[in-house]
Amino acid sequence: MAADTPRHRTLPRTGILAGALAVLLLAALLSLAVGSRTVPLGHTLHALLHAGGGTDTVVIRELRLPRTAVGLAVGAALGLAGGVMQGLTRNPIADPGILGVSQGAAAGVVTAISLFGLGSLTGYVWYGFAGAVLAAVLVYALAGTGRGGATPVKLALAGAAMSAFLASLTSLVLTTDAATMDQFRFWQVGSLSGRTPETAWQLLPFLLTGTALALAAAPGLDALALGEDTARGLGTRTGRTRILGALAATVLTGSAVAATGPIAFVGLAVPHAARFLVGPSHRWLLPLSALLGAAFLLFADTLGRILFPPAEVPAGVLTALVGVPVLITLVRRRKVIAA
Amino acid sequence: MTTPLPGYAALRCGRASALMHRRSAAVAAVLLVLLAGAVVASLCFGETTVSPGAVLDVLLGWPSPEQLVVGELRLPRVVVGVLTGLALGAAGALIQTVARNPLASPDVIGVSHGASAVVVGLTAFGLTTSPGQVPWAAVAGGVGAGLLVHLLAWRHGLHAQRFVLIGIGLSIALGALTSLFLTKGDGLQAQQAKVWTTGSLNGTGFDQAGWLVWVLLAALPFLGWAARAQRGITFDDATAVGLGIRLHRVRLGTALLGVVLAACATGAAGPVDFVALTAPQIALRLTRSPRIPLACAALTGALLVVLADLLARRLLAPTELPVGVVTGLVGAPYLMWLLASSRRRGGN
Repeated sequence: MAADTPRHRTLPRTGILAGALAVLLLAALLSLAVGSRTVPLGHTLHALLHAGGGTDTVVIRELRLPRTAVGLAVGAALGLAGGVMQGLTRNPIADPGILGVSQGAAAGVVTAISLFGLGSLTGYVWYGFAGAVLAAVLVYALAGTGRGGATPVKLALAGAAMSAFLASLTSLVLTTDAATMDQFRFWQVGSLSGRTPETAWQLLPFLLTGTALALAAAPGLDALALGEDTARGLGTRTGRTRILGALAATVLTGSAVAATGPIAFVGLAVPHAARFLVGPSHRWLLPLSALLGAAFLLFADTLGRILFPPAEVPAGVLTALVGVPVLITLVRRRKVIAA
Repeated sequence: MTTPLPGYAALRCGRASALMHRRSAAVAAVLLVLLAGAVVASLCFGETTVSPGAVLDVLLGWPSPEQLVVGELRLPRVVVGVLTGLALGAAGALIQTVARNPLASPDVIGVSHGASAVVVGLTAFGLTTSPGQVPWAAVAGGVGAGLLVHLLAWRHGLHAQRFVLIGIGLSIALGALTSLFLTKGDGLQAQQAKVWTTGSLNGTGFDQAGWLVWVLLAALPFLGWAARAQRGITFDDATAVGLGIRLHRVRLGTALLGVVLAACATGAAGPVDFVALTAPQIALRLTRSPRIPLACAALTGALLVVLADLLARRLLAPTELPVGVVTGLVGAPYLMWLLASSRRRGGN
């Protein structure tokens, strides 16, 4: 169910992508400069380029740079995952969080840490993938039973039920295991604080793999938007597209959640904004979703630092507050319900 | 004077009369016995195990060495659990009857999280500290959230599925707001407010939640009215109007009563998810009644909360889980089953 064509596209699509890239750079720069110690932009750039001894330089290079890099990667991953899921399910309200995939990944990661004491992202990310796949399959199977198949509404409800169950399970494990809890108190709420350069580096190969898979699925997703039969008639191997897309969504969501915990609604809101800007073609939609997702998460994280100093509001809280109005607007459109 | 419908007994007292569903009355009696058993068990088990005999001594006011443990520490918590459960079960029954949809329950449609957000917000910003203000804050938040969902879902009429979806969305937003307020609050207040985030009976007692008794007592006459009115609103609209039922007024009153009860329960214990959703459905299946039985739903709710709290306390002792975690683990699969087994066109 690709959205309507953009109403008033005056810019060429390459121009829009370039604009999104500029916005992302601005978001990254702000994320490096703003916080409990706000550094002027000129100094920030200087600190990035020259290792020096000043406190500002240390704060930026040691604390904010890894945090910004992780935010960028996770935001891009979630935006992409949401775009792929919306294409695959032809459901405008699909999103890793709503379909329970994020909570599945979270439950997998927490279980891995608690049971096997895995301490590095490369170690537990696989359990995140396993949890994500399991949750996605279960939600889809649940929503597909009964009459009418997996309608958007049934998918969302099944996802909500699954999320609630997995969240309870996760808090059960966390409450019983003080060590895991300590490691993951901040992670629970989807926060970017306290990320290390290692996390950023470990995330990179998974992000690149997921992106490659998503882009490989893009042409097939365009055909799927026309309906299963038409896509087959056009010579698309729909099975292959579905597997590629599902793999992409799993790898992207699983690694994002393993790095920061479940962050809500980036995957829901961002692809819709992208569709509005460049139209329904996934070849454009997906790269733009990645750029906008990264920018959105960085802005949310930066805002969270200056809202209630000295405390920090987790980025996931702010993305939810922005994302819910988007969800409500989409639900109020008749199309979601009629599907 | 005709004979009452099969399965019903007519109760007459002078000019007043009421119909009683026989099986529901029997189920209610059984539930009462089970609830009493669960309460006694809840008072027996804890850090130290107390014999049921000693528990009864304390309950009857006889001198007992266990007075402190049972009477001062455990009893308040169990009583608050019972009251919370009664309120949630009744609230779920009322709202599900109005919506004619088992999915429409106060915890799904944002009422509980609305109440929780307002309570935590006021606490975090240091605007309220006295327990006397909590119920008012909770009711304001709950009713506000309920109205907001109603407004947002209203588009060329009210569509049950849209209503539920928007409710879920709004619940997430209100949950995020609650976290936001928790970050704002200073340590001690945040700790205090944290109790309301998952639904927990840890540390609740008569000081925090004694007012719930008065709420339930005050609600009784309204509940009696709602139970009678329920019979009318389960018909299709045309039949109800033909019978002379003021449909709109009855629906609004019933829904409002449900929202207020759910909000008060949340004010006392935080959002204990899934009790209001599951209790009425369990009661419906137990009684095989044509309608959701109000009294049985309330009793089932109380039984669920007391048992879940006992589990939450003892499952991983000495760690105490929030009761909301246990109800989530049990209630969410039930919701999934409800989704998977729904064969009706509209109610999926």
